[in-house]
Amino acid sequence: MRLSRRQMLGTGLAGGMTGLLLPRLASAQPRRGGHITAASLSSSTADTLDPAKGALSTDYCRHAMFYNGLTDYDAQGQPYLCLAESLESRDQMTWRVVLRDHVKFHDGSSLSADDVVFSLLRLQDPASGSKVKPIASQMASVRAVSPRDVEIVLTSPNVDLPSILAQSHFYIIKAGTTDFSKANGTGPFRCQTFQAGVRTLGVRNEDYFREGRPYLDSLELIGIPDEVARVNALLSGDVHMIIAVNPRSTRRIRESGTHDLLITPSGLYTNLIMRRDGMPTGNPDFVLGMKHLFDRELVKRALFRDFATIGNDHPIPPFDPLYRADLPQRTLDLDKARYHFARVDLPSTPLPLYCSPAAEGSVDMASVLQEYGSKVGLKLAVNRMPADGYWSTHWMKHPLGFGNINPRPTADLVFSLFYKSTAAWNESGWQNERFDRLLLEARAQGDFALRKEIYGEMQAIVAAECGTAIPVFITLIDGFDKRVKGLRPIPLGGFMGYKFPEHVWWEG
Amino acid sequence: MAGPATRGLLATALPLIGKRVASGLLTLLLVSMVVFFIAQLLPGDMAQELLGQAATADAVAALREKFGLDRPAPERYLRWLVGMVTGDPGYSLVANMAVSDVIAARLPNSLLLAALSALVSVPVALTIGILSAMHRDARLDRGLNVATLSMVALPEFLVATLAVLVFSVQLRWLPSIALIPADASPWLVLRSLAMPILTLSVIVIAQMARMTRAAIIQQLSQPYVEMALLKGIKPARVVLTHVLPNAIGPIVNAMALSLSYLLGGAIIVETIFNYPGLASLMVNAVTSRDMPLLQACAMIFCTAYLLLVLIADTVAILANPRLRNR
Amino acid sequence: MTNAIRSWVKALSGSGRLGLVLVVFWLLIASIGPFLAPYDPGAFVAHDVFAGFTGAHPLGSDYLGRDVLSRLLSGARYSVGLALAAALLASLAGITLALLTAVSPRWLDEGISRFMDTLISIPSKIFSLVLVAVVGSSLPLLLLVASITYMPGSFRIARSLAVNLAQMDYVQVARCRGEGAAYIAIREILPNMIHPMLADFGLRFVFIVLLLSGLSFLGLGVQPPDADLGSLVRENISGLGEAAPAILMPAIAIATLTVGVNLLIDALTGRGRRMAGKE
Repeated sequence: MRLSRRQMLGTGLAGGMTGLLLPRLASAQPRRGGHITAASLSSSTADTLDPAKGALSTDYCRHAMFYNGLTDYDAQGQPYLCLAESLESRDQMTWRVVLRDHVKFHDGSSLSADDVVFSLLRLQDPASGSKVKPIASQMASVRAVSPRDVEIVLTSPNVDLPSILAQSHFYIIKAGTTDFSKANGTGPFRCQTFQAGVRTLGVRNEDYFREGRPYLDSLELIGIPDEVARVNALLSGDVHMIIAVNPRSTRRIRESGTHDLLITPSGLYTNLIMRRDGMPTGNPDFVLGMKHLFDRELVKRALFRDFATIGNDHPIPPFDPLYRADLPQRTLDLDKARYHFARVDLPSTPLPLYCSPAAEGSVDMASVLQEYGSKVGLKLAVNRMPADGYWSTHWMKHPLGFGNINPRPTADLVFSLFYKSTAAWNESGWQNERFDRLLLEARAQGDFALRKEIYGEMQAIVAAECGTAIPVFITLIDGFDKRVKGLRPIPLGGFMGYKFPEHVWWEG
Repeated sequence: MAGPATRGLLATALPLIGKRVASGLLTLLLVSMVVFFIAQLLPGDMAQELLGQAATADAVAALREKFGLDRPAPERYLRWLVGMVTGDPGYSLVANMAVSDVIAARLPNSLLLAALSALVSVPVALTIGILSAMHRDARLDRGLNVATLSMVALPEFLVATLAVLVFSVQLRWLPSIALIPADASPWLVLRSLAMPILTLSVIVIAQMARMTRAAIIQQLSQPYVEMALLKGIKPARVVLTHVLPNAIGPIVNAMALSLSYLLGGAIIVETIFNYPGLASLMVNAVTSRDMPLLQACAMIFCTAYLLLVLIADTVAILANPRLRNR
Repeated sequence: MTNAIRSWVKALSGSGRLGLVLVVFWLLIASIGPFLAPYDPGAFVAHDVFAGFTGAHPLGSDYLGRDVLSRLLSGARYSVGLALAAALLASLAGITLALLTAVSPRWLDEGISRFMDTLISIPSKIFSLVLVAVVGSSLPLLLLVASITYMPGSFRIARSLAVNLAQMDYVQVARCRGEGAAYIAIREILPNMIHPMLADFGLRFVFIVLLLSGLSFLGLGVQPPDADLGSLVRENISGLGEAAPAILMPAIAIATLTVGVNLLIDALTGRGRRMAGKE
C-alpha cells in the first residue's frame, strides 16, 4: 500500500513541529508583552464559549483564544499537528491519535484521551446545538485506547480528517464540561472576562504548551457590527485590529500611514442557486443561460472594488492547489444566454429572485442580473429579504435565490456539504451519481496528483450541470495597526482564519 | 411638617398614582400580548436561528424539544406570564443565563446614558424654548429654530459618525467606542459617553424646545398675561412665574415622550458607539427569537414610558388645579 | 386668483417665504425629479466611486459609481411623499382620537389611552424590525410603521391640549349652554389646538424623515436600488471621511426639506394667530 500524503504529514511531524509553526519572517523576533484589542463583526447574547456552537467570526476567534484543536492550519490552510503529537492512518478510515504530553487545561488538569473522546462525540448529539453534526457524524467511533491514545474510526475513508479536526468546532474541551460560562481549555489565553454581546478578555496562559507563546500579555475581543464605526475605531486607535473591511474603506486605512491591510484571498463565495425542483430553474438550459448572464468583471470591479477573484461556477478558487486550470473560463455572453433562454419556456411574469444582505453582495448582484436579464428577454423581480431570518426561511427555499458559503479547509468538505446528492445543504437540489462516486473515490485516494485529477473532473461537472453560479470568490480584508506584528493571511477566514490570538505580538 | 396645601396636593396625587399603577399594569399586559403575538409571526424560531445555516431537520427538532418550543404558543405565553407575575422573568436559552442576569448587565448602562442625556437636554431645551418664545419672530428665535431643526433632521447615524470623525479620528479627544471597563473612573465614563449623549440630546432637544416654545406662545396670548404686563411686571418674570406653570402640561408631556426615546430609541447610538444597552439587547432578542428576553425588554421600556408619563401627568395636574377633578 | 396668492405670499414673513420656496422646490423635485434625472439611478455609470463635482456627474458619483444627482432626483419623492403622508396620517388620527377622548365617557378615554400607551411603549425601530422580518419591507409598510409610530405621540399632545382646553371657562360655558359633544370638540376645542398641533405636525414630519433614515441604517427602510434621502446618506456614509458630495448632498437635501417645511408652518401659524388677534 502506498504511503499517503497525510500519513507522511502525520508521521513526519510527530514530535518536532517548530518547522511548520510559522514560516520564518524576515522581520524581527516576536516580542513578549503588550495588550491588543481586536474588533470582530457582530456580537450578541448568542455569543458562546462552547466551541460546538460557534456561529460567527467573533465566536471562532474567541474559541481560538481559549482552546486548541488536535490539529491547526498553516499559512496555506494545510493542517499541522497541535494537541496531537501524531495522527496516523493506514486506510484513511481508522485513525490513531497520540496526544502531546504535559498539556494542561486552565484549571490545572492534564489533557487526556477522555477529553478528546468527549469533545468529539458530543458534536454528534443534535441536542448539543452542534454546528458540525453532519461532518462529525462521519466518525463511527471515537475511543480512548490509553490515556494518551485515541482511536477514531470513520464510516468511510477520508484523507482530510486532519483538516476537519483543525476547525474551531472540533476544539478540545475538558471531559464532562456542561457549564460554558467560563472557558476551561488548553489555549494560549485564560478567560478572565466573558460577557456575551459585550467583550471577551483573555490573559496570557503561563502554562501554555507552546514555548514562548502567546506573545501578548492580554487580548481583548469585541464586536463592532457597523463597518464605518469599526474603521473609525481602528483609525482613532481605540482598537488595533478589525475584521471585514469594506473595499471602499481600504483607501482611508492605507492613507492613515499608521495602519495597514491584511488581504486574504479566500474561498468565500456568494452564489446564485437555481433549484432543480423548481421551474424554469430546473431546466439545464436556464441554468446555462444564467451562468452566461453574469458580468463577472463588473461584479469584481464595481461590487468588490477588485477585492475578489473571478470564479468559474464551481466552488474551488483559482489559488487552491486542486483548482483545475484548463477548464474554460465562463464569461458574460449575451448571445449564448439568449440561445439558452430561447430553449426555455420562460414565464411571462417576472421571475422572483431572492437576495439579502445576509448573503454578501447578493443584493447588488441581483440588480446586475436584472439589468442584463432585461437585455435578453428575461424578466427578473428582485426580492430583497431582510438578513434576519434569511437562512431559515429563504435560503434554498425558492427556485431562484442567493446563498453564501464560507471557506472550507478542504475541497472534500465543500463538495460533501453543499454538492453531494444527499447533503442536507445540497443548495440546488441536483443529483449526480458520477459526482457522488468521484467524491468518495477522492476521499480514499492518498495520491495528490490522482486526487487532483478526480477533483478536476468534479469541478467540470459542477460548472456544467449544477444549478449554482459562482461569479467571484470574495477576498477578505482586515485592518490593523502597524504595531501589531505576526499577521499573515490564512485563506480560511479573516484574522488568520480566526486563529490570530497566539500568533500576533505588539511592538508599541 | 406638611401644611394643608401639601396635604391637598398629596390627596390629589395619591389616588391618581394608584389608578395609574392599575392602568399601567393593564398596559403592560397588553404590551406583552402584542409582543408575543407579533413575535409568533416572525419567520423561524430560536432553534433555527441558533443553528443558522446548520439547521437540519433533526437538529432543529432536537433543540426545539430541549427548549420546550414544541409546546403550543398559548401555553408558552401563559407559562411566561405566570413566571413574570411571580417575579421570574424566565431563562434566556440563547444566552444560557437567567433573563434577570442578562438584563442586570445592561439596564444600568441604558439608565446611565438616558439619565445623562436627559440632564443635558432638558435644561437646554427649556432655555431654548423660553428664549424663543420671549423673542418670538426675532432673529434669535429664528436662528434657534433653524439650528435645532436642521440638527434634528440630519440622520442620527450621520451626526454620530461625524462626531466620531472629528473628535476621535482627527482630534483624538474622545474614544470612538463607548465600551467602558468595569473599573473605569467617572472621568473616563463621561469621556466615553460624551458623544452618545451629544447625539441623543441633539435628537430630543428640538422636540422639547419647540413644544415649550409653542405652549408658552399659546399662553402669551391669554388675557392674564397682558394684565400682568400692564401691571408692570417684567416679561421674564411673567413667563417664569405665571406662564410656565400654565403651559407646563404640554411641555412635560412632550418631555415624557422625548425622554422615553432615550431608552428604546437609542439603538443606532448603541450600535455606532458599541454601547451595551437595552435597545441593542432587544434587537438581539428579536433576531435570535429569544422570547423571554424580548418580553423582558418590552416590559422595561413600557414601564419606563409609563413612569415618565405618570410623572408628566402628575406635574401637569399639580400645576393646573383645574385638571384635578378630571 | 393670482392676486390672492400674491397677497397671501406677501403676508408671509421673510423666513416664511424662504420656507415656501423650499417646500415648493421639494414638491417639484418630488413630482418631476425622476424625469429630470440625467442617468438611470440604478446604473453604474461612473468608473470612479465617490467622485467630486464633474461635468458628467454634477453632484459626483456614489459608492458604487452611480450618478448622485440622478439618485437624489429620484429619491426625493420617497422622503417627501412618505414622510408627508405618514405625518398627515399620524397627526389627523392623533387629533381625532384626542378630541374623541376629551368629550367621550371615561371608559372610552381609558381604552383609547391604554391602547396608545401600548403602541408607543414598544420602541419604533424594534417594532419596524419585527414587522419587516414578518412581511418584508415595502412602501405601504413603511407608511404604516411611520404613522403608527408617531400617532400616539400626536395623540398624547393633542389630548393634553384638549383636556386642558375642555376645562377652560368658555368651554364650560358652552357645556352649560347645552351644546353637544361634537360641537364642543370641533367648534370650541379644535380651533384652539391648531397652532400647537401644526407646530407638532412639522416636527412629526422631521421625525418621520429621521425615522426613515434610521430604518435604512438598520437595513429596513426603502429598499435598494431605490433610496430615499436618508438611505442615500446611509449607503454613502463611508464617503464621509473624504467629504464626498455623495453624502453631503443628500444631507443638505434633508436639512433644507425639513427646515423649509417647518419655516412655512411657523409662518402660517404665526399669521393665523395675528389674524385671530385682530378679530
